[in-house]
Amino acid sequence: MNKFITLTFVLLSTLSQSLYASFSLPAGVSWETNTADPIYASPDAEIGGTLRSYLRSFPLTLRAAGPDSNGGFATYTGAFELSLVGLHPESLKPVPSLASHWAYHPDGKTVFFKLDPRARWSDGKQVTADDYVFTQTFNRSKHIVDPFKNDYFTNRIINIKKHDDFVVSVEAASAKPKEEIMFNVAVSPTPEHFHILNENWVRSYNWKIEPTTGPYDITKVRKGKYIRFTRKLDWWANDNKYFKYRFNPKTIHLKVIRDDNIAFRHFLRGELDVFFSSATNIWHERSKHKLYKNGYIHRVWFYNLGPVSPQGLYMNQDDELLSDINIRKGIAHSLAVDKMIETVMRGEYARSQHFYQGYGDYSNNNLKAPQFDLDKAAKYFAAAGWVKRGPDGILVKNDNRLSINLSYGSEKLTKRLVVFKQEAKKAGLELKLELIDSASSFKKMMEKKHQIAFGNWSTGVVPSYWSMWHSDNAHKPQTVNITNMDEPILDELITSYRDSVSKQERVKLGLDIQQIIHDKNVFIPTLKGNMNREAYWRWMKYPEDLGTSRTAALLAPIPWTDWTFWIDVAGKQATKDALSDGDVFDPVTIIDTTYKAVQ
Amino acid sequence: MITVNPITLKQWQRFKSIKRGYWSALIFAALLLLTVFAELLVSNRALIVSYEGNIYLPSYGAIIPGKELGLDYDYETNYRDLKLVFKDTDNWLLLPPIPFDPLENHFIDGKFPPYAPSLEHRHYLGTDNTGRDIAARLIYGFRIAIWFSLLLLFFNYLIGVSVGSLMGFMGGKFDLFFQRLIEIWSNIPFLYVIMIIASIVVPGFWTLIGVMIIFGWMSMTWYMRTATYKENSRDYVMAARAIGASNISIIFRHIMPNTISIMVTFIPFSIASGITALTALDYLGFGLPPPTPSWGELLRQGTDNLDAPWIIASVVSGMTLILVMVTYIGEAIREAFDPKKFTTYE
Repeated sequence: MNKFITLTFVLLSTLSQSLYASFSLPAGVSWETNTADPIYASPDAEIGGTLRSYLRSFPLTLRAAGPDSNGGFATYTGAFELSLVGLHPESLKPVPSLASHWAYHPDGKTVFFKLDPRARWSDGKQVTADDYVFTQTFNRSKHIVDPFKNDYFTNRIINIKKHDDFVVSVEAASAKPKEEIMFNVAVSPTPEHFHILNENWVRSYNWKIEPTTGPYDITKVRKGKYIRFTRKLDWWANDNKYFKYRFNPKTIHLKVIRDDNIAFRHFLRGELDVFFSSATNIWHERSKHKLYKNGYIHRVWFYNLGPVSPQGLYMNQDDELLSDINIRKGIAHSLAVDKMIETVMRGEYARSQHFYQGYGDYSNNNLKAPQFDLDKAAKYFAAAGWVKRGPDGILVKNDNRLSINLSYGSEKLTKRLVVFKQEAKKAGLELKLELIDSASSFKKMMEKKHQIAFGNWSTGVVPSYWSMWHSDNAHKPQTVNITNMDEPILDELITSYRDSVSKQERVKLGLDIQQIIHDKNVFIPTLKGNMNREAYWRWMKYPEDLGTSRTAALLAPIPWTDWTFWIDVAGKQATKDALSDGDVFDPVTIIDTTYKAVQ
Repeated sequence: MITVNPITLKQWQRFKSIKRGYWSALIFAALLLLTVFAELLVSNRALIVSYEGNIYLPSYGAIIPGKELGLDYDYETNYRDLKLVFKDTDNWLLLPPIPFDPLENHFIDGKFPPYAPSLEHRHYLGTDNTGRDIAARLIYGFRIAIWFSLLLLFFNYLIGVSVGSLMGFMGGKFDLFFQRLIEIWSNIPFLYVIMIIASIVVPGFWTLIGVMIIFGWMSMTWYMRTATYKENSRDYVMAARAIGASNISIIFRHIMPNTISIMVTFIPFSIASGITALTALDYLGFGLPPPTPSWGELLRQGTDNLDAPWIIASVVSGMTLILVMVTYIGEAIREAFDPKKFTTYE
């Protein structure tokens, strides 16, 4: 008997060794990892307490794929979903996560990953290469009814291959420099043992709780009321250098509160721990409450770096009027962006200068946004033949008024745009504000039916140009080339940029591309939204250096945070006692403008 | 010589005797008249400018570019600044009591909007969150709301009364058909229709009126139908028929004057509901496009900026005042037309 066990053991171990040994990297490729970058969490952090926050609406599903899975709640689940590697926020280099090591194939498309054998799903099952292969099967499946994922895992990631139980390779469709390819191929696993893919998948998995590899599990769901996450105390990655001291709340309780004003009342009653306070009136006016003055609620305001989402006016070059570059330049000089920032935005933001800001070397920071200048505006409008003013002060040409529709999709923008409208009148330009609901306004833009649209796009880690500026996407609906940019030189540069695998060359090409886009004057940048303001009860703690230069949020909105904050459980009780005793503390407002004007 | 029906005269006297209704009607009429000349009370254009011996009246018509009045720009003169320039010269100008345009952003150096009410800056009710004068927006918003409501009333009654009377007068299949049509039509959720339309096109003044007429004409039909039925069986109608009056003339010359009291009693309440409907739509963001001055938009700003209480206070008091007045008028009219006291039914 004993012999038998020993034999099996020997057999098994040789088997696993041989399996492990069966895979060797191609010649000249070697495993690398990264443990050199500093940690950005605080060693003072302790796990414990309950973080209470709110959702504006209850999610329509708990699935991570398929219809309605892209709502606001997905930002929470997404924050707890680990992928093969993490990204160090300061160095922007990969750091170990589900994979402990990685290796770049010289073809520029493929990356090998050595999986961390400690990785476990919530139900205790080991995370293996099969779960990555299943990710591909899953995301390509028609049963999940998710065209975006189908497309991404077919046309962007073309192959996920298992080499042995703990080695996978992921191949992207096009070659990219080392620095960039990782962002495309670091996928997340999907638990194969959990899913049964068939035509009922969307319905039957709507409220099922998927096992995760991350630090939290959904442990309680009351439909329409709240969702609760619980920290896995024996989480497999507890000792991972870059996960340590992070994800500290023991439970996260997300209550549904449909109105922000009501949520604020809950916050004042101490029923919510943090409150996102970037809006001017919340930051300035609401903080007059005595809980702020008496030091129970603290505030923090900081700026950060990183790609700036290009917020501004997009002009449609297929429009008869706007096809003339003089008109576009005239409009650019008729927009009182600085005045808008200085007045209705209280001068708290910096002016955005061009489309691709905050990408480090990739940004052409010689570009400067056009300034409000009535003489220049008049000059350009005159060059386009608009000289005479009509009885209402608006320029006229052949009985036409210089009147342009500016469509936008959020009532919150009205306050900024009315300033533009009023000031543009001085230049003889009428901007007709066209507020339609956000879905319709987006649709209108995608169908290229707008004249000028106010838009704001999400950003990537490195700039991409093809979808927005290549003529392949011009003059047709459902593409994001909303300015209908159609410029042969630009096409050439963009194609070279896409094909190049050298970072240096891509940087250089990028600078030229940005210059051309800027010269065409189709996008007028407005403000740089690179800051965050938050209010929190005094028992909430975060690292003393406020995180990294790229920290989007310390405490609120929660899904944006680096998860480095923690709750001082003892301090919370003390604060509650102090509040009932009527004690007064010093008010605390931390303002850090280090990165305000940094390009 | 116009002769007044003695009953009408009595009704008028009865109306006058109900003091709060009567005074409300007077004030309301005065306000209505004032809205017509709002430009002379609330505007950033001066009422009269005397520059180098010439007199200008900028209130109406084309703009006067700054250059014409000795300033260095081509766009419309800023008369408040001009007043400062004219100080200690022979030139002079007279500004309206509220020297702001409802669309104009007025920013005060070193302070951020919304600005609290102040006599110094002549923002008597303060400004909203983009520095627009609330008094100006309130008054122009009222002008739009009241005329919107009156126009809506006119068209709704025109269609509703005609269809209703015809139903009552003709009866039979015509009546039956319209009854079913109206029943079905009234079940279409009007607010959703507006929301759908507003998400596709930007609703303007006339589109909004159009849509609201399409879904609003039905309410009067039922009352008119019943009233016409009743009148139709009276002797005077038979007499009119006997002398060979046409149907049209029977409806419009004989029956309608006898049902007028129903219409008149409903009018004030329809006006109130017109104002509230527009305000509600604006509040929800499905009404008139920005930056049109509107009460609904002010109301929304007010609830979003409770820290600037002057916004919500102004619009709520304005609205309460108008609606209370309209209701008083309505009450008084109903009282005046109450048959229990004045008709000569046997």
